[in-house]
Amino acid sequence: MNPSSTFANPLENPNAFRLHSLIYWQKEMPGVSSDSARGALVPLSPESPAAAVYPLRHGLKSPISRLSISWSRGNSLRVSVFAAPSSDGSVNDGDGGKVVEVKLGGGDGEISEAHWRRMAYGSVSPFALLQSRKNAVSSLSKMSMNSSPYDGDWWDYIMEYSKDINALLVNKKTASVPVLDDPKSVITKGEEPTSLKAAWELLEMFYAEKPSHSWLPERLVDWLADYDSLFSGTHPTVHSKLVDFQKELVNLQVVEDDPKYWEVMSSALAVGWLNIVVKMLRLHGSYRLDQLSNRETENGLVEAVAVLISKMPRMRLEHEAGKLGECYKAKPDFVKAWEKWRGQINKLDSSAFWFQCAHQQTREGLRSMLQIMLGNANSLCSATYNWIELYISHFLYMRPLTVGLESMYSLAQKSIQLKPMASAHRLMGLIIGILGENTEVVLAECLKGFGPWMVAHAIELLTAGSDHAEMLLHEERQNLGGISIEELHRLVYAQVLSSFPLTWQIAPIYLISCMKHGMVLLQILLSKQPVQDNQLLLKSIEICRLYELHSVTSNIMKIAGVHHWKHGRKGSGFFWLQQARDEYRLNRIALQLFDSVGKTISDESFKQWEGLIQLLGSDSKTAGGLEFLHKYRDFKKSLRQIHDGKATDSARQAVESLISLMKSPSMPQRFWLPLLYDSLKLLNWKERPLLNVSQTNLLLNKLQELSMARLRPDFIESELPPRALNSVRLALGTNLGRAILEE
Amino acid sequence: MAFAESQNPLRVYRIPQSRYIDAVRWLSPVSPSDRFAAIAYFDADTNSPSIEIAYVDPNPQSSSPTLTPQSSWTSHSRISSLRTAHSTPQPLLAAATFSGSLHILASDLINGGVMESEATVSQLGFHSGPVSAVDLREGGTECVSVGEDGRVNLVSFVGDSSKLNYRRIFDSNGLVGYTAVKWASPSEFATGGYGFGIQWWDQRTPGGPVLQFKGNWCQGKTSGIVHSIDIHPSRKHTCLAGGSSGTIFAWDRRAAQQPIVLSGAGTGEASNSLLSESEVWEVQYDRYTRRSNIGNISSTRILPVMICSEDGILAVIEQGEEPLELLAEPCAINSFDIDRQNPSNVICSLEWESLAILTRS
Repeated sequence: MNPSSTFANPLENPNAFRLHSLIYWQKEMPGVSSDSARGALVPLSPESPAAAVYPLRHGLKSPISRLSISWSRGNSLRVSVFAAPSSDGSVNDGDGGKVVEVKLGGGDGEISEAHWRRMAYGSVSPFALLQSRKNAVSSLSKMSMNSSPYDGDWWDYIMEYSKDINALLVNKKTASVPVLDDPKSVITKGEEPTSLKAAWELLEMFYAEKPSHSWLPERLVDWLADYDSLFSGTHPTVHSKLVDFQKELVNLQVVEDDPKYWEVMSSALAVGWLNIVVKMLRLHGSYRLDQLSNRETENGLVEAVAVLISKMPRMRLEHEAGKLGECYKAKPDFVKAWEKWRGQINKLDSSAFWFQCAHQQTREGLRSMLQIMLGNANSLCSATYNWIELYISHFLYMRPLTVGLESMYSLAQKSIQLKPMASAHRLMGLIIGILGENTEVVLAECLKGFGPWMVAHAIELLTAGSDHAEMLLHEERQNLGGISIEELHRLVYAQVLSSFPLTWQIAPIYLISCMKHGMVLLQILLSKQPVQDNQLLLKSIEICRLYELHSVTSNIMKIAGVHHWKHGRKGSGFFWLQQARDEYRLNRIALQLFDSVGKTISDESFKQWEGLIQLLGSDSKTAGGLEFLHKYRDFKKSLRQIHDGKATDSARQAVESLISLMKSPSMPQRFWLPLLYDSLKLLNWKERPLLNVSQTNLLLNKLQELSMARLRPDFIESELPPRALNSVRLALGTNLGRAILEE
Repeated sequence: MAFAESQNPLRVYRIPQSRYIDAVRWLSPVSPSDRFAAIAYFDADTNSPSIEIAYVDPNPQSSSPTLTPQSSWTSHSRISSLRTAHSTPQPLLAAATFSGSLHILASDLINGGVMESEATVSQLGFHSGPVSAVDLREGGTECVSVGEDGRVNLVSFVGDSSKLNYRRIFDSNGLVGYTAVKWASPSEFATGGYGFGIQWWDQRTPGGPVLQFKGNWCQGKTSGIVHSIDIHPSRKHTCLAGGSSGTIFAWDRRAAQQPIVLSGAGTGEASNSLLSESEVWEVQYDRYTRRSNIGNISSTRILPVMICSEDGILAVIEQGEEPLELLAEPCAINSFDIDRQNPSNVICSLEWESLAILTRS
């Protein structure tokens, strides 16, 4: 997973070499064939330019001799630049090399890295909860064959999941609501909307809310009211016109003379922002007390339109408090109210009062607003700025009874024809995909516009109620290496999480929900984690424990053990190898330890050893081949006490330790002679022989064995004086004689 | 397992930080209403570690407490251990790093919490590799640091020399690694390490630990590492330790080699309810107790203990009683601190880049 490539130096400009973009390089996943285009994990968009060239500043003065590129954390490349050594051998500042991190792609502009991580953390619990509920539901439905898995609490679970995720997407704290209502402030600024939240709410309304599609048009009206500003960056919108007008409003003395006033009101009316329109109408000059008397009729007309607007019948469940319009739940009631309302508009439109209205702009402005309310196609089209706004206005004033995705889709197509767009906003693509009931398009738009996090979590909504989508996303595919689309996207997301040091710990949650490759990738992920730091190491081991990956645990421990050992932290290294029960390596390090014990166990270093030997314990299983160290320490201790002048008791103890050491099977043969040589003093004990006949025979046998072994080519000679063997043999012989006499 | 919510009101506030938190400590306040905390951050986006002093407004107009950064000190390496001394008017901080250096910082809380680096030890040979733990003596003139390299160093900072001198108390040459340290008295301290071992040191008896609590007491079962030690000023004969496999135990020096296991490994008894099976990252005696007088508690009984763990548990344990769970987070709780002046306040750092502040009442 860590491709690194080196290039020679064919670069004409030594100071700013060009890094040919690797953005289209695909992270390859094990088990997924990448040789054919069909095996590509992430679809490449053909309209992207084939190669982008970016200059890279590395600040090296001398020419570059070598270049190495590898993946760093996340989406960054680590480029190591090595300078050529200067020809005259002098050392200059800027020689050597530089390491530069190159971030590929700026990420999503509206969401910072920190916020992205916060979303990743926050979505773990809802995702895990939904998975466990899914498992419970499916095992329940297996038991009772005939009941559908998707009923009862199922929709509540999905909705809870969707709401939990949605709550994470709030970008900033909601701005405080001003205490005093400014009469000239027509649009209030709430929280900063994000495309991601807008997209999630679209998915939520179409897939998660218990399918009652008759409310969908009104839900879309609300959605546009919240998120119209998102389109302002790339398209003209009603929202941006309102914002512009808001700025001018402060300087306007007579608003009704400004054609923009009427224009903006018609637009806001067309997309159903009734409260804003009524508020703006009330800014009309005829309401001012000094003018009320001579503009009575005019004011009556303005007020009549304002009342009609605030009485607009809406086919929806309920309104937020304070929102204008009258809600009807049942279709017949709505139709009745709708007809009555339109009748009132027609009546007003054809009334004689218009001739008495002297103010031309007011007359024309109000009558064009009436045309919008009557659903005049041309008026709607000219009042709106992009196809979504036109689409919404059609729902409001022309076809309020639109039901079903099919008719909604054809209406959308018609709107696009009327207001074609040069470039599509990512949300527009998503809407088309959803309305077209094309799961693949929806997924592709999610991935393209919002990245792997979105796809991995949105799939839960897509499959919630649709058997077709479930089949499509759960079907195992040959071209994906036998995994389903759902698993593929979870793997991709987990891969993204894994590449950041702060988020890799949550990748396992997603990996274990992948049936085919999840476990293997989890093992790879855990095995790749750094072992230098105990805290991180223990966090990895904890994850292994949760998923019962015992072999991975012991591998990690072995790596950690060897790492610590190599860096001189013998105690730590020993501990981890002991935890891993790695007898092979314990035996190996035992030899090294023994060498240094022989050399360093002196008076002052004894305390250093004490701790390690205590760590060994006396259990031979956990101590590996090191249990003899315990006895060796006792032996040395007793020997030392003899030197201190403490007499026979210590000598006896030393003999005990010597015999049990020589009997111990774990005692390496190469240490026999040094051990016996150390014990010369005991063998030649003046007062009386310390070893009895059988003990002496044992040692003599060992000595004999040793002499035989010396003939083998792999024997390692110990660093002792050449006469050592003879003096030990002599001492043992003498001791044997004395012991026989004694017995 | 008892849950705190049902018994006494507990308010928990989680404050996202957008940076990883390596350690968190309360600072002793200047006035009773003030709350200051020292937080060791690691910014993963810019790869920069720092320590910040933040004013904690526990009762602002909005419903949750706010953190207002007062001052910041940039470190060249990540903070491995952070301690504060409580008894000085200008609180001192001792920060040890993964690169093996030690920094003494002073913060002037009256004048806006400005933090200055008083002194630094970063000589080659102070520690090789990371300093695993550090502790400031009450009164703040001496500091002991330990590492897995087996070195135990004593740093004294009387006077205003910017270059600190240290004294090597012991060097095991890596044969024994130390992972935790805590002062017991002006001359005594305890260290902890692998195999659940604890060592007792007395500066008056140089040359090595004066007493060792033998590691590997849980023979045959999983062994582990001591991550944190606490010693109660009124019970200096007892070392409280927390470590791997949810193990919380106390070693009474008068009772030689037998541990008093409060939870976790090596108990083998069903009566000891297992609080957590993962790493216990920190232990502290919980001075917030419902009993009015801890003097009434028998001296052989272990005082109430607060712990935090890798599996997201913050809990209070009393010997022989059901543990009281204060928090059960979906992510690890890496460190916590109980406010000395007002022990009902607890601050803790969560793995997912956020802080939690608890108020018990």
